[in-house]
Amino acid sequence: MLKEKLQKFFKIDRRWIFLLLAVMLFIPIMKPLGLPNKTISRDVQHSFDFMDKVPAGSFVLFSLDYDPSTRPELHPQAIAMIRHAFKKNLRVGVVTYIAGSTGLIAEIFEKVPKEYSKVYGKDYVVFPYMANPVAVMTQMASDMYGIYNKDEAGADARSLPVMQGIKNYKDMALVVEITGTAMLDYWVAYVGDKYHIPVIGGVTGISQPGYGPYLQRGQLKGLLGGMKGAAEYESLVKVPGKGTSGIDSLNLGHLLVLALISISNIILLIIKYL
Amino acid sequence: MDLLTHFWTWLCGFFVITPAWMTAGAWLAAGLTIFLFSFLYKDNPFFKAAEHLYLGAGMGWLLQVSFYSVLVPKVWEPLMKHEWLVLVPSLLGLSLLTQFIPKISWISRYGFTFLMGYGAGLAIPVGLSTDFISQISGTVQPLSMMASMTPWMIFNAFLVAFGVICVLFYFFFSVEHKGHMQKVSNIGIYFLMIYFGAAFGNTVMARFSLLYGRFDQLYTFSSSKYLYATQFIVIGMVVYFAIHAFFTRGGKEPEAAR
Repeated sequence: MLKEKLQKFFKIDRRWIFLLLAVMLFIPIMKPLGLPNKTISRDVQHSFDFMDKVPAGSFVLFSLDYDPSTRPELHPQAIAMIRHAFKKNLRVGVVTYIAGSTGLIAEIFEKVPKEYSKVYGKDYVVFPYMANPVAVMTQMASDMYGIYNKDEAGADARSLPVMQGIKNYKDMALVVEITGTAMLDYWVAYVGDKYHIPVIGGVTGISQPGYGPYLQRGQLKGLLGGMKGAAEYESLVKVPGKGTSGIDSLNLGHLLVLALISISNIILLIIKYL
Repeated sequence: MDLLTHFWTWLCGFFVITPAWMTAGAWLAAGLTIFLFSFLYKDNPFFKAAEHLYLGAGMGWLLQVSFYSVLVPKVWEPLMKHEWLVLVPSLLGLSLLTQFIPKISWISRYGFTFLMGYGAGLAIPVGLSTDFISQISGTVQPLSMMASMTPWMIFNAFLVAFGVICVLFYFFFSVEHKGHMQKVSNIGIYFLMIYFGAAFGNTVMARFSLLYGRFDQLYTFSSSKYLYATQFIVIGMVVYFAIHAFFTRGGKEPEAAR
């Protein structure tokens, strides 16, 4: 009798679980719970430390290759890292190889530079979208103006003060790649390893475990994984953003999944051994 | 000409971002999100419309960005400056399009040959160095530096090397997995399972993050500033499903997300 009742649990319409999950994720958005985000993972700390040690005035190349489909995870990462670069008075160059990211890049640079009184052309520059990333990365090793002779607005890139003294990777202090694609692999293989330029990555939670070998080998200097990585970097930069505010929802969502997995397993054990 | 200039000025003015346009954008974004989520309850025409719109808008965006960021500055402008060398890659690129015309599709081989040769030349040495030699060295090197390592680091180095060997045994199919071989390959399976478990955990977190992102936007669009877009659209969808259920009582249920 009990067995039959318990078996009904596995026939539950999954739409009830969707609804429960939606409620669990929505509650903290309406009323933030303020659950703490106390752990800073080693790879995020390494990313922060590396960027923090780059001397002021150095040129950091950001490759922002994500579109709206991965925005909630990667956009807060990009914002936190660009804030850190501006805070450290680094020169920032932005490239992209994903057509869908151009609007998101514009959104970042409409807001973030103003917070640090940074001026376009003097402190940062945004280059246009380019197809065929591997060819572009290879060309940039000899002369980046062979590809990026103009910035996004069509101005001569060589004449911009932010680009003074920058010709190729040798003149750059760091490459930061934030992507939901395999583009980070390309930056490590075609640029980091080949031209000995440090590379830091920001990836989705799904791809994060796959980059363990590159981190262990030092081919990546640090890695931010998913919204958790963004939240950790935000707390290191001390400017809470969307990553931090999402932690409440993530925690509740994870608790729900843990509860469902535990309940299902307990019920299965009861059915099997009763 | 004057008429054209006037029309262009009017068009530009029409698309200047005003609060009204922001509200319209919020309604569109909230609507499309809710339409797509509605599939979790039941398949419906709103979901299909949103799905097709997503594909169309995505392709349209890609086309215009490619046109203005690649084709115009990299092909059109150099040609206007009489830089004829650009014709070589352009023609190779155009040759790929002959795939659509069976009679002359053989021309596309020239483009593909170039792509294959160029791609292989770039990828093979780099792949060997980054993903093969470097990783072997990363697995073995720590074992040669034990004098400067803590006991925990030594344990980690052995664990990594042991895991790599066991997993490689699992993927070695030329010897039958029996006896000791089977034991080693079984341990390899456990290492793989740990990796898959970590990857799955991260996948759950990633999916929740994406869901949080959409919910956060829906909450933003539920304010009076956006004329309660989220609430109105959710109520509209509920009413649609109620009416649909009323009129299809006893009929065949449409495909549900079950």
